[in-house]
Amino acid sequence: MRRGMVIDLEKCIGCRSCAVACKQHNAQPAGSWWNRVVTPGSDRHLTASTPQNLYFLPIHCQHCNNAPCVKVCPVGATYQTDDGTVLIDFERCIGCRYCMAACPYGVRQFNWESSKDGMQRYEYQNNYTYGYPEPFRLDNRLVYSPVRSKGVVEKCHFCAHYQAQGLDPACVRACPGKARHVGDLDDPDSRVSQMIRQMNGFTLLPEKGTRPNVYYLPPKRKEV
Amino acid sequence: MGVSKKISLTVFGLIMAAGALMWLIQLWRGLILTDMNNAYSWGLYVSALAFFVGNAAGGLVLSSMIYLFGVTALKPFARIGALCAFANVAAAMLIVLPDLGRPFRVLNLLLHPQIMSPLVWDVIVLNLYAGLSLIYLYLLMLPDLAARTGILKKITLPVKDPAGFSDTWARRLAPFSLVAAVGIHVVTAWIFATQGARGWWHTAVMAPDFVAAALASGTAVVMLVAVLCYGTADKFQSAFRIMAIFIATAFFIHIFLMYNDFVIHAWYGTDHARETLAITLQEYGLAHAFEVLAPLAGVVLLLNARVRKTMSGIMAGCLLIIAGIFIHRILLMPAAFNQMPLTLAPLGSQHTLWSVPIASGRYAPPAETFVSHHSYFPTLVEILIFAGVLSFVCALILVAVHQLPVVKEG
Ligand code: SF4
Ligand code: SF4
Ligand code: SF4
Repeated sequence: MRRGMVIDLEKCIGCRSCAVACKQHNAQPAGSWWNRVVTPGSDRHLTASTPQNLYFLPIHCQHCNNAPCVKVCPVGATYQTDDGTVLIDFERCIGCRYCMAACPYGVRQFNWESSKDGMQRYEYQNNYTYGYPEPFRLDNRLVYSPVRSKGVVEKCHFCAHYQAQGLDPACVRACPGKARHVGDLDDPDSRVSQMIRQMNGFTLLPEKGTRPNVYYLPPKRKEV
Repeated sequence: MGVSKKISLTVFGLIMAAGALMWLIQLWRGLILTDMNNAYSWGLYVSALAFFVGNAAGGLVLSSMIYLFGVTALKPFARIGALCAFANVAAAMLIVLPDLGRPFRVLNLLLHPQIMSPLVWDVIVLNLYAGLSLIYLYLLMLPDLAARTGILKKITLPVKDPAGFSDTWARRLAPFSLVAAVGIHVVTAWIFATQGARGWWHTAVMAPDFVAAALASGTAVVMLVAVLCYGTADKFQSAFRIMAIFIATAFFIHIFLMYNDFVIHAWYGTDHARETLAITLQEYGLAHAFEVLAPLAGVVLLLNARVRKTMSGIMAGCLLIIAGIFIHRILLMPAAFNQMPLTLAPLGSQHTLWSVPIASGRYAPPAETFVSHHSYFPTLVEILIFAGVLSFVCALILVAVHQLPVVKEG
């Protein structure tokens, strides 16, 4: 079993629901975004890079098979599970940020201050809370916690807490464009494997040799 | 202790106290007090790690020149070499702590070390080298320790011929210290050079260049301390000459390796290489000019026999070299972090290269949420913490020179 994701850029409407669902469900501290949706080529969001050409690219941790973040982590806080998911043990991380320098995709987020201070800086109204309320441990390692302490790195964990309940990741469930799919990349007959085969699935930065488990399907030309 | 020494020690103490205070505040508030962000995640602290590691090279130069290559003229400075090596390695390990988000978990390095991580290798070799430098210093001081009183006398090994014993063992240990010393530079360079994500670092030339730059600045550190301790009397002139030639050679090899790398990357001209070179040579053009011209001026000064006869001349030369290499270490970061690893040619406009921005992770009303460029400049907190560690090096050397038989009288 190798857990993978396919994002169909033809289907993506650029609504950024996935980024918001991810942020809310995972109680991400103010300023942190595990998942971002960019408009390649544009200066600002949602402006076309050239006339006649507009598409959207959601980016989060690519759950690389040859993950540099796992290899650099001096204490094994970042590690890979048997199904290829790359997780961070919040209780083990020493906050050296070596993994942030190592990741080619810029998906790792550091807690520069406490969640509380960040919320105040953002002027969230008092007592506003969001996110899955329970801490989640996998093999006794804390890979999700609703309140984040300062000084550790975090990123997409493929919604390990939901997968333990048999649910798809928040971004997949929230996508109104039906652009996101998860499944087993080791099984040639799985939906994701078929999509990658039949619709020219590609990965980001193949030249870096990271062998991601997140695949993209190319968009057709879009008119604006 | 003279008045000027007392004043210097007080100043160093005050700066150290200020640095410690800043670290306490940073522990309390978090690394938000630095100017780093998610896209630019290493700054002054990690540059300083590379700087201090490089400065520790002097001990190796002295011990191997004297005991492996028989350059006896340098012998009076051997103890200073070992002392400077220890002080700088200690500083290198110290400056990592404020960079950690969770410094109190540093024990995890012992409990769960991951052998694939170059950072673990670095911790191992730095500790090894620190230990070796201390042993070396002790061995070299042994002949004079017995004459002292109190604790120094107590820790003296009861050997029949301390001078001979010290000499024999210093010679036996020299090859190991050479390996450990080259090791700290190579492994520290590997922390960066192994990272395929960062084009600026990912080059085979980094480790040899790191060694060359370290040999220049490390020897300059020893020369600086030596001239402060011994002055410029005639009997030391041949030692100063040898060190000056050594520094000059190391510096020119460093310059050669650096520009050699620039030329081959610039010639082939991938977009990434052009971008990193533009950051270093244009955006940070002044800093780059300094990292080359200041040590060059220093080398020109030191190579002049008349200059080497004056205290101020040698000091100026050494300081210029050390400062230039410091800026070289600072320039490790901008081109590594301001060239986004994830750049792509948007479908339909293949001729453009577009950097995918990263959530900065820090909120400021006028600032962008997602950034692809950051003009990093260390905050007062970062600068004071660095200054504190630098003062620690100076104070440690000053106190050791005063309390221990590091400098031979007469
Ligand atoms: S995308 Fe980055 S954080 Fe995710 S596995 Fe790959 S290197 Fe690690
Ligand atoms: S910041 Fe944490 S997860 Fe990243 S390399 Fe350091 S210890 Fe590992
Ligand atoms: S939620 Fe779906 S359609 Fe909306 S931006 Fe994300 S992937 Fe695209």
